Formats: sequence, structure tokens, C-alpha cells
Amino acid sequence: MTHTMTDDRLIELIETWGAEAVSWPEAERAAGKTLLLAHPERFASALAQARELDQMLGALPEPEMSRALTEAIVAAAPRPKMSRPNLLRWFGLKTPWAPASGFVAAALGLFMGLTVAPVASAEDDMTAEVQELVVSALGFDTAAYALEELE
Amino acid sequence: MAFTSDLDQITRAAAGDAAAVRAIVNRYSPGVLGIATRMLGDKAEAEDVTQETFIRAWKALPSWEPRAKFSTWLHRVALNLCYDRLRKRREVLPDELPDRADTALGPQDALDQAQRVRAVEDAISALPERQSAALTLCALQGHSQTEAAEIMEISVEALESLLARARRTLRGQLLDGRNAS
Repeated sequence: MTHTMTDDRLIELIETWGAEAVSWPEAERAAGKTLLLAHPERFASALAQARELDQMLGALPEPEMSRALTEAIVAAAPRPKMSRPNLLRWFGLKTPWAPASGFVAAALGLFMGLTVAPVASAEDDMTAEVQELVVSALGFDTAAYALEELE
Repeated sequence: MAFTSDLDQITRAAAGDAAAVRAIVNRYSPGVLGIATRMLGDKAEAEDVTQETFIRAWKALPSWEPRAKFSTWLHRVALNLCYDRLRKRREVLPDELPDRADTALGPQDALDQAQRVRAVEDAISALPERQSAALTLCALQGHSQTEAAEIMEISVEALESLLARARRTLRGQLLDGRNAS
């Protein structure tokens, strides 16, 4: 679509979007440039002012992101969801086989407990006071119960 | 294509990919900080807005739908946060006008670069917020007319009108005043 460009409209474009044609709306750019090239003297003043303002705006320093701000933003970002290997690492376990060592330790502990337990029990020295306390707490005599079990 | 790489990075960042998160921050935070700085004219507030913008972005990532470019959405969030702060400032100090650019600084020779930059920054900060936003997005952030209009949720015609008024004011304050002296 070809736009008809007038002097007034071109001055508006220059004053609004700046001296560089690349900043003008695309639909009007070609027509604007054609008119400008045909009669540069008509737009010289508007162009000079616009260019000066463009330079002033272009000279503004870009604010810089501080490291602290960047890190604060990164720290607030989503965290990865923990996968199974991550969970293992979290508990200090390096391989999926590592939990097996835990089971072995637990089984060994249980075995030792069961085999050693009967040796100590009814034969233990239990003072009369302690025995009395146990009877009053449980409602029956644990030493007598243990002896019955053995018989 | 920028849109595709946006989406890929966003998807990875939403899953907690640290590299994607950092890439998003490095790519988009300067633009957000730039908008906030120009709109608010205050470094600390601009940093707060930048951080808040990204906190909102992180919350939105899991359900992100690419209806617009990520930068467009992000800049709209930042702009709205700036509007909120500017409104709160007006509520707190209703009678206090923002500092105006000092056009009586003297002949151009007397102005060093820092003073000139300060005068331009002050003049932008003193613009009505929507004019300041139009100028910031188009002239300083380099957004296209369509993108800037989309960020501000206005038509391209309305954007042009705001931008024309903004530049006319700046011309009056920064160029005409100086030429007259």
C-alpha cells in the first residue's frame, strides 16, 4: 500500500519518531524518505532539532545491573524438582545399591538381638524395688512370666 | 527464531534449569531495569521493581503461554509496577511536584556531560507517566511501535500521540530554552 506523504505529516514523523527514518512507522517510511530526498531544505530545521534530541536521549547511560541484584533474582527462581538420584545424594548415598547396606545392617542387628536376648532376662538380678515397680506398672510379674515361658 | 528460543528457555527455567534461569536474567534484566530507572528516576526503587518483576515472572513461568513475546509481557509487568509506585508517590505527596528539568542552567558550554545527562533524566522523569513510558519504550529501549503499543496496551495511534507530546515537551525544555538563552 502506497502512502501519500505531505510536508506536515513528514514533519510530524520527524518530531515524533526522530531524525532516523528507520524509527518511523514502516508503512510510511518509504514515502517519507522519498519526500525528504526530493525537498531536504523543507525539513532541515525539524531534522536538526530531532537529531539533537535523539543524541541527548542516546547519551543517557544504560543503568547497570549490580551483581547483588542479579543474584537475588536468580535465587528467587524456580528450583529443580528432586529426582530419585538427587534424593540419594541428599542423604549422602552415591549409588542406587547403597540402601542395601542399610538393610543388611538392620537384619544383622535383629539377628544378634534375638539370639542374645534369651541369655539375659529372667536370670538377671532384679531388685525387689524394681520388680515391684514393674508389677505395679504392667499389672503382672514379668520375671515370673519369663520363667513360665522358659519352662 | 527468538520466539522459539524464548519458549525453550522459559520451559527449561520453569523446570529449574539453572543455566536457563541465568540466561533469562542476563538477557532481560537490563531492559527491565532500564524501563524502571527511566520511569522512576530512582535507582533503589528501580532495582526493587526489577526484582519484583522477575519474582512475578518466576511464578508465572510454569503456566506460561506464549501469547506475546516474553520481553513484551515482562516489560508490561515492569511498567505496571512503575505506574503503581508513581501513583503511591502522588498519594503520599499530593502537592509536591516532581523536580523539573532546570532549563536555566546557562549556556551549553557551562554544562558538562553529567549535568546534561541529569537534565535529560529529570525532564523524562517529570513527564506524565504515560508519555514517559512511550518515550522510554520507543526512544530508549528500541521497541517497535507495535511492541510498545502492546506493552502499554494502547493503539499505535495513541502511542504516537503520547510520544509526540513527550518529545515536544523535551524539545521545549532542553533545546528551545537553551537556544533562547
